[in-house]
Amino acid sequence: MLYLIGLGLSHESDITVRGLETVKKCKRVYLEAYTSILMAADQSSLEKFYGKEIILADRELVETGADSILEGADKDDIAFLVVGDVFGATTHTDLVLRAKELGIPYESIHNASVMNAVGACGLQLYQFGQTVSLVFFTDSWKPDSFYSKVMENRKIGLHTLLLLDIKVKEQSIENMARGRLIYEPPRYMDIAVAAQQLLEIEETKQEKAYTPDTPCVAVSRLGSPTQTFKAGSLKQMAEYDAGEPLHSLIMLGRQVHDLELEYLYQFVDNKDEFKKLVEADQEYFKPPAWVPPEEDDMSD
Amino acid sequence: MDKVTNVRNISVIAHVDHGKSTLTDSLVQKAGIISAAKAGDARFMDTRKDEQERGITIKSTAISLYAGFDDEDVKEIKQKTEGNDFLINLIDSPGHVDFSSEVTAALRVTDGALVVVDCVEGVCVQTETVLRQALQERIKPVVIINKVDRALLELQVTKEDLYQSFSRTVESVNVIISTYSEKTLGDAQVFPERGTVAFGSGLHGWAFTVRQFAIRYSKKFGVDRAKMAERLWGDSFFNPKTKKWTNKDKDADGKPLERAFNMFVLDPIFRLFTSIMNFKKDEIPTLLEKLEINLKADEKELEGKALLKVVMRKFLPAADAMLEMIVIHLPSPVTAQAYRAETLYEGPSDDEHCQAIRNCDPKADLMLYVSKMVPTSDKGRFYAFGRVFAGTVKSGQKVRIQGPNYQVGKKEDLFLKSIQRTVLMMGRSVEQIDDCPAGNIVGLVGIDQFLLKSGTITTSETAHNLKVMKFSVSPVVQVAVEVKNANDLPKLVEGLKRLSKSDPCVLTSINESGEHIVAATGELHLEICLNDLQNDHAGIPLKISPPVVSYRETVTAESSMVALSKSPNKHNRIYVKAQPLDEEVSLDIEAGVVDARDDFKARARILADKHGWDVTDARKIWCFGPDGNGPNVVVDQTKAVQYLNEIKDSVVAAFQWATKEGPIFGENVRSVRINILDVTLHADAIHRGGGQIIPTMRRVTYASMLLAEPAIQEPVFLVEIQCPENAIGGIYSVLNRKRGQVISEEQRPGTPLFTVKAYLPVNESFGFSGELRQSTGGQAFPQLIFDHWAVMGGDPTDPTSKPGAIVRAKRERTGQKPDVPGYEEYYDKL
Repeated sequence: MLYLIGLGLSHESDITVRGLETVKKCKRVYLEAYTSILMAADQSSLEKFYGKEIILADRELVETGADSILEGADKDDIAFLVVGDVFGATTHTDLVLRAKELGIPYESIHNASVMNAVGACGLQLYQFGQTVSLVFFTDSWKPDSFYSKVMENRKIGLHTLLLLDIKVKEQSIENMARGRLIYEPPRYMDIAVAAQQLLEIEETKQEKAYTPDTPCVAVSRLGSPTQTFKAGSLKQMAEYDAGEPLHSLIMLGRQVHDLELEYLYQFVDNKDEFKKLVEADQEYFKPPAWVPPEEDDMSD
Repeated sequence: MDKVTNVRNISVIAHVDHGKSTLTDSLVQKAGIISAAKAGDARFMDTRKDEQERGITIKSTAISLYAGFDDEDVKEIKQKTEGNDFLINLIDSPGHVDFSSEVTAALRVTDGALVVVDCVEGVCVQTETVLRQALQERIKPVVIINKVDRALLELQVTKEDLYQSFSRTVESVNVIISTYSEKTLGDAQVFPERGTVAFGSGLHGWAFTVRQFAIRYSKKFGVDRAKMAERLWGDSFFNPKTKKWTNKDKDADGKPLERAFNMFVLDPIFRLFTSIMNFKKDEIPTLLEKLEINLKADEKELEGKALLKVVMRKFLPAADAMLEMIVIHLPSPVTAQAYRAETLYEGPSDDEHCQAIRNCDPKADLMLYVSKMVPTSDKGRFYAFGRVFAGTVKSGQKVRIQGPNYQVGKKEDLFLKSIQRTVLMMGRSVEQIDDCPAGNIVGLVGIDQFLLKSGTITTSETAHNLKVMKFSVSPVVQVAVEVKNANDLPKLVEGLKRLSKSDPCVLTSINESGEHIVAATGELHLEICLNDLQNDHAGIPLKISPPVVSYRETVTAESSMVALSKSPNKHNRIYVKAQPLDEEVSLDIEAGVVDARDDFKARARILADKHGWDVTDARKIWCFGPDGNGPNVVVDQTKAVQYLNEIKDSVVAAFQWATKEGPIFGENVRSVRINILDVTLHADAIHRGGGQIIPTMRRVTYASMLLAEPAIQEPVFLVEIQCPENAIGGIYSVLNRKRGQVISEEQRPGTPLFTVKAYLPVNESFGFSGELRQSTGGQAFPQLIFDHWAVMGGDPTDPTSKPGAIVRAKRERTGQKPDVPGYEEYYDKL
């Protein structure tokens, strides 16, 4: 049996009770260690907590060495631990498909993910559109497909959750192209870089999907004790020092509910200023005012 | 130097042993740098010890000379000039094919070329190569036919034979010129009667042009100089009885007439030779008097060859003839840059920098091209040697140093540094100067660490690069070097760095198994490089492996099925097929006709018109590889794939490496076209980044190549051998043993010499010269020049075939698995 178990966002004890019980009975325990990190725990503290040895599964092992993970899973119980929720990072559907091919039954045990925990900032989850990722730009590689998705979201008034790139164990381009397994030091994108990249793309595209004045919410270390929120314009975000990783950014849509706004006031420097920003932003993508159909001319 | 119209930048180019350095001596002697007695033996321009010992030039050397002219001569110059003094910057270049890259570097900084041709051997393979290079750089040639003394003394030819031989040589030079010259250069052909061809002997220090004789006779006959010159060449005859000129070789009575050239030009020379060499003491003084030659008392005592040398040198000084040709017929920088600007500059031809180059403007922003690095007496440091094309370069000036990969607006390959000093290169020494205006050749101190081999120096942020030089030779022979004493390793690494800097064409690298590789253009080049490395740059004893040839990997058919690879996360899939590129296309890419930096529409036009490509395909070339400009392409044939442009960079990066180290045995890939047929991508950017796409593209490229009947290509030399008839048998037997293929065998008219041309695989060329000498009794001298890549028959994946054995040997040497992997290694099932 293959168990996919969500670990939650921060502490080793964030795991669910059922999850913990399952881990304890499994023969091998893998920890997926590259799509995200647990902010307040590491391998050794987890091992101590579970009383079990953990095998760290990096990108190579999960993506190219899946067979070794699944080996013997038809007889023994294997746990595959994922930070956040099990299917938050899409890459793991492949593991399940392969388990199915081999006739290995599987079960998933869910947990909180950034996808639902962002609700903590006061914005309603119902009001979110497509989630997009922002990747680190290089001199020549500036993927900007997120732009059209933000545009689509904002056109219908929805908020956008922007997940920020983390590079835990990445190869340089040269090493990648030559198939060498040499890794760069880990990097995490912070709010300022993300906002600057957003502004850079708006600058080149000039399609007004958003502006430097568009209101945003910076979400830092979600789910940990030091979790912080900060609301302000995109321009302010570009200068915001968010501290330790991990971070996410939310760009507001036009439809901001009064309660949402009220909640956000906790995180702003200047209430009135922020209100003005939100009101000004609501002018973008505003549907034309409804005009009643002209009544038939009854003169004759 | 400030009067740019009176500057001439020229290079001396020729086949090996045709006498460039010796002729240059005459010019240097004229400037008073070496004594007249030594000229002809000194080889002043051969500054290195090994050059002097071997008697060949290895590095090109520059020198600046002053020359004064009288008013009559200055009048004949058909371009703008000021005053009667001229500055000639002269670069003596090596003739051996292995050092062609030095010639390329020399040509870039000069505007004119003095082409030296041996009067006995005629136009040889390297003459053609360098002349072609010169014309492609838009450099105007003048010709000097050298070693006339040999024809007179050794071969004892008649006057008419000599004339015929001259005219044949001139004609064959003109055939090359008209084949390769561009319209913008104007008529670059050479004509003796116009004074663009000289005849002489570098060894004896004499030379003449028809024009010089025309001046002598124009006074006597009272005819215009130009008219006289025309009469002294070609089918023009003088009837001494009637004192009339005619174009028929018989007079009214049917008696043969003597050709004017023979009668007026060759006759005095022949008479001097016969009387002096036959020791007819009584005739000599009268002859000398007639020709207005005054000898000093001690010189009158001389006899035989020594006397001949002195007399001829007084009669027809070589320097005069050459200076005259150079100053009158070769363009000044102002004239030349007007038509060279577009071919020199990478940016648009209408921007301010190109304009400045065109006008040779000393007040504009600095544009300087460094063409090579010259070692200084200070070990490990170099002068950056180059030409100022616009602006003025000064000591202490802050400049932008742009390497070959620099692009405007980016920061890669760019340094901001100050020039410490500017110097003039004077053969063996340098002379310090404060500044140097556009049009001149200059050496720069203090920027050598920031340039690899060549680059652009400018003061403007908007300036594009000056065009990178294309070399006609490529480094196909390589060895691995190892230190004998492990402690010396850092010295070796430093030495390799210096070696790579000091030579425009040597490549040094470290391969996968950690060996240090030195790659050169031929056996001789390699030998010189390794000598330099051992004795100079590194200064330590080295272990050197036997030479190895570099190969290329290619395909010979279209992939037998669509190759598919999935990204590590399985969410991205790339479908491609490989197919061979036509050899002509590869050659055009390698020659820069089809260039990665060209406008894609112009490039597509060439591919469609010349090579029959489909226009849509031609427009959708994503990249060339390896190094962004190699002879392999990726063509996008997908239809409406979303986000495709976001993975383009990853695909390009992967392709560069995949083509640099091919699937068969890690050699460069050549002549492969990869068609991307379809791509499946994950919806979110983070799951289709470089980490996912790059390995996938590399794998799918390998898989598609292995599915497309892979083959390997080996480099082939063109061998030219000159020899007497009795040596031909020996040549054939050596060529047969070495898989050589004879393509032509011709007798050179008027001489007993034969020229044999053949193709010889580089792999078989080691020790070829030695074996040839042995089996021909030292009578045959080969010239080997890289000619083309040839596909080796046989399956490289089968270790029992010949290419298979080569592949296996290389794989084992570099620590790879001995068997070539099957396509399954890189292929993912759907």
